[in-house]
Amino acid sequence: MFEREKIFNRIIQRVNINLRDLNFDVSPFVTGHADLRQMSRFYAFYGVTTDIPLNLQFIHSSLAGSYFLGKCQVKNAMLYKTDIRGDELKRKGSTFQFKNFSIDLRQDEFIDIVSSALVKTLVHNFSHDPESPERFFIKNTLSLDYANIHGAPADGCFLSPFATVDLTTMRNCAIGAYSYIQAGRISHLNVQPGTIWVNSPGTFNFLYQFPQDRLQHYIKQEAGGKPEGALIDFIEKRAQAFDKVFDTAITSPPIPVPETASLDRYAVVLSETTIDENVLVAQRAYLENCTMGIGANAQENCYIINSNLQGNNVMAHGAKVVETEMEKNIFVGFNSFLVGKPGCRITIGTGCIVMPHTIIDCSEPLEIPPDTLLWGLITNKQELEENSIPLEELRVVHHSIQRGNMHFEGEGGAFVEGFKHRINHILESNGAFYHQHNNNIKGHAQNNRKLSLNNIQPYLFGEMEGVYPDITIQPQG
Amino acid sequence: METYTVKDLMVPLEEYVTVPLGTTLLGAMLALEKAQENYDQGKYHHRAVLVLDRENKVVGRISQLRVLQAMETREENTELYAQLKMYQFSDAYVDKLRENDRIKCKVFAEETLKEATEKPVEDFMQKPTPDEYVDESEKLDLAMHKMVAGAHQSLLVTRDKDIVGILRMVDIFTASFHAMKSLGVA
Repeated sequence: MFEREKIFNRIIQRVNINLRDLNFDVSPFVTGHADLRQMSRFYAFYGVTTDIPLNLQFIHSSLAGSYFLGKCQVKNAMLYKTDIRGDELKRKGSTFQFKNFSIDLRQDEFIDIVSSALVKTLVHNFSHDPESPERFFIKNTLSLDYANIHGAPADGCFLSPFATVDLTTMRNCAIGAYSYIQAGRISHLNVQPGTIWVNSPGTFNFLYQFPQDRLQHYIKQEAGGKPEGALIDFIEKRAQAFDKVFDTAITSPPIPVPETASLDRYAVVLSETTIDENVLVAQRAYLENCTMGIGANAQENCYIINSNLQGNNVMAHGAKVVETEMEKNIFVGFNSFLVGKPGCRITIGTGCIVMPHTIIDCSEPLEIPPDTLLWGLITNKQELEENSIPLEELRVVHHSIQRGNMHFEGEGGAFVEGFKHRINHILESNGAFYHQHNNNIKGHAQNNRKLSLNNIQPYLFGEMEGVYPDITIQPQG
Repeated sequence: METYTVKDLMVPLEEYVTVPLGTTLLGAMLALEKAQENYDQGKYHHRAVLVLDRENKVVGRISQLRVLQAMETREENTELYAQLKMYQFSDAYVDKLRENDRIKCKVFAEETLKEATEKPVEDFMQKPTPDEYVDESEKLDLAMHKMVAGAHQSLLVTRDKDIVGILRMVDIFTASFHAMKSLGVA
């Protein structure tokens, strides 16, 4: 037996042991899906920059096609085309504010991945767990295609395809496909597919659940099979463009990029695309015939096609936008799938918030008024009415409101302000507000320009094929 | 009082209202109505119906509450309520949703009433649980403990393995009341 198989089998056993109280067996989700022979086909790579502390340790692990930035330890793990972005980890000497606790950091935070398998997963942000402020742990966890572990330490968990856990510590949980969870901390939850849950206990609680039958058109995974559906088809149709980018040594960007913007070397850019100042385009982003206005960003696994972003638009990890006109200051949440068509374009007004994991798949033109909150599954004007609310109307909710499958309890004003504050923070972090002449603080758009990339390779023969040698990468001094 | 046994207070099975499996809800109610009409001639006031299988063994019991439950056709969205609880919505929020759902569902409507009359008794009868049995030779103490602990309206009285009668709460209550009165405490 190859060593990679031993590592993988042990991880599956660890996850199943942790999920035994839920009677949840992850084996059917990886049998027939995970092809371990792929682990020797792709190199791993890491970013080097003076702005971000570097310390990488790889022990007894496979890392095929994965990307690392910042401080990270990977042990007895299997990462496949996964991005570990440690550029927002907390720094030594800083203070992490958690409710009434001001927590001083005595060392740089690091991402600690142990006995876990992450497939095409994004790990980003920093640990929001006050019990573990300097260690962003991912332990005994399995995550599948296009899952996002965003500031969310995990112990003994399973994330299905396109699941996102955001700013939440999770223990012994199974998160269904296309679910988005932001709830502080959760344990022993079996979350059904298509659950969108944003909870701030005592302040507000938002819940939407996709109709299960209709969600299956977009994403489903049957026992023993691979993830299927329109989301997978959409990505696979464009996979070749990425193969080209990863297989070619590119020395200069394919289009002009302003001094204050950055276009990652591992992003795809096709046809008539323009990039304005302070724009951030991350690795694995896909741009085709689109304009990226000042301060707009496309994070990992974003697709922007035949669309115009006027500026300061946040395209969160995994967001996809097709045939869409976006005015300024619009937030499109994680893994959202906004699919207009020629003659049936989507127009989104200024200040709108598209909740994470929203699907707009319309067969008629849709115009969304400014300052509107959208969620769920929208395929026509009637569903737009049911799955949206003007922000001003939500602001004055003090008790509860229900619309269709959406339930909200608590202070609507706090919910809106929380989102607005976070969107502003994301834009600031990404460098959207940077201006060379007023000495503003730089963000990712400016700093990533100074990033260089190195490759590392696995063993290519024998029992260790696909496993990487134990490697420590740490600057001296 | 101390000398009384279960047998002394039970209603013999042959004097109880019984219906066979397969009887409709309306059939069971008509049987109960008939038994109550005969109340003046009989010794017992009947509030429940026993369900017998082909071997005339008691396999279930239908109380008035069970009849009402069978009539109530509202389809409570119990899965949604459970999900909302799991996702930490307050009891008040869930109760409000449940109340709204209940208002929407009418019980005393011709269609729903007609639907209820055709339900077979096996769909809504209460199947006896192991703690609902008491031997006819037992003293009333044990019967009372079982009734209180299980919150049972009645117990099934057995002789060997056969059910031979019903011990009703009203009879235990009356016996208890008389026992206390006989103490002569003012």
